[in-house]
Amino acid sequence: MASLQARNFNQRSPLAHRHVGATLGPMGDSVIVARYGQHDEKAQLQRCALLDLSNLPRVGFRGAHTAEYLRQRGYQLPAQPNQAVVQADGSRVARLSQNEYLLLGSLLDGGSRIALEEAQWQYDDTPNYLLPRQDSHAWLLLTGEHISEVMAKLCGVDLSAQAFPPGSVAQTSAARINVIVINLAEGDLPALQILCDRASADYFWDALLDAMAEFAGAPAGIDELL
Amino acid sequence: MKIMPCPLNGPRNISEFTYGGELKAMPDPSHCSDAEWAAYVFNSDNLAGVVTEWWMHNASSYWFLAERHTVSDEIIRTFDPQELFKQRVDFAVPAKVEEATV
Repeated sequence: MASLQARNFNQRSPLAHRHVGATLGPMGDSVIVARYGQHDEKAQLQRCALLDLSNLPRVGFRGAHTAEYLRQRGYQLPAQPNQAVVQADGSRVARLSQNEYLLLGSLLDGGSRIALEEAQWQYDDTPNYLLPRQDSHAWLLLTGEHISEVMAKLCGVDLSAQAFPPGSVAQTSAARINVIVINLAEGDLPALQILCDRASADYFWDALLDAMAEFAGAPAGIDELL
Repeated sequence: MKIMPCPLNGPRNISEFTYGGELKAMPDPSHCSDAEWAAYVFNSDNLAGVVTEWWMHNASSYWFLAERHTVSDEIIRTFDPQELFKQRVDFAVPAKVEEATV
């Protein structure tokens, strides 16, 4: 079977050129890195790894009626701004302000539920506005036991386990660019979901890898997460 | 680094914020004079003392209000604009201006 190539898909991660040589797998209408080498990446993920989830669907909604809209569509919402919750199907909802929510797709369904939310939204009189996030943000996943120590090198906000427990969201600056950092584990694996400006993803990828180097951090694929 | 307490996100480095100008009462755009509107848009009081200003937290695009002493640069209080703006402000569509014919 011919291997998948990112250039054959309309939707490409801003980091696609950094994944040369990696084994790609299908993800919705695009591809995602399954693994970088032939070796088992489980130990790498547990220690310190960086994954590119930019091709996984995500979308935002904002407005006075948004909470009601999302509840009607079966979402469990965080009680306070700057909190996030995992849904039963693995999708994630982060509350970014009083009336703004960010929906992150699940690896389990390739983000299809969240992609459908973006496709089905319609403009009408109710104050609930779509915020397309697929082409504005890149989505990275930082995993392993050293996530707090890595972020401490890049970010002024205390993201240690005590100050930033699972379900916390921080909208701040890391490596001098704006980021949304969400502490939501991948199963048992400690993980920070990081969204940053898509055009700056190439820079930010290197900045994170540089900070991860002392913990023997490396890029990884999603195979061991599924 | 100077710290600004953001009402939404908590204490953050001042470099995460953008200044948005003094808080001023908006004159009625459909009835005020051009001079009044220009003063509202362009002019600042530039008081020496405690002023109320718009600030934005860049990472969350969140606008809020801050009371700051312009001499000591002390931030006295920050708060959500909903404390002052309780209703949506709608603007009437202005009547079409006829194009001048020469």
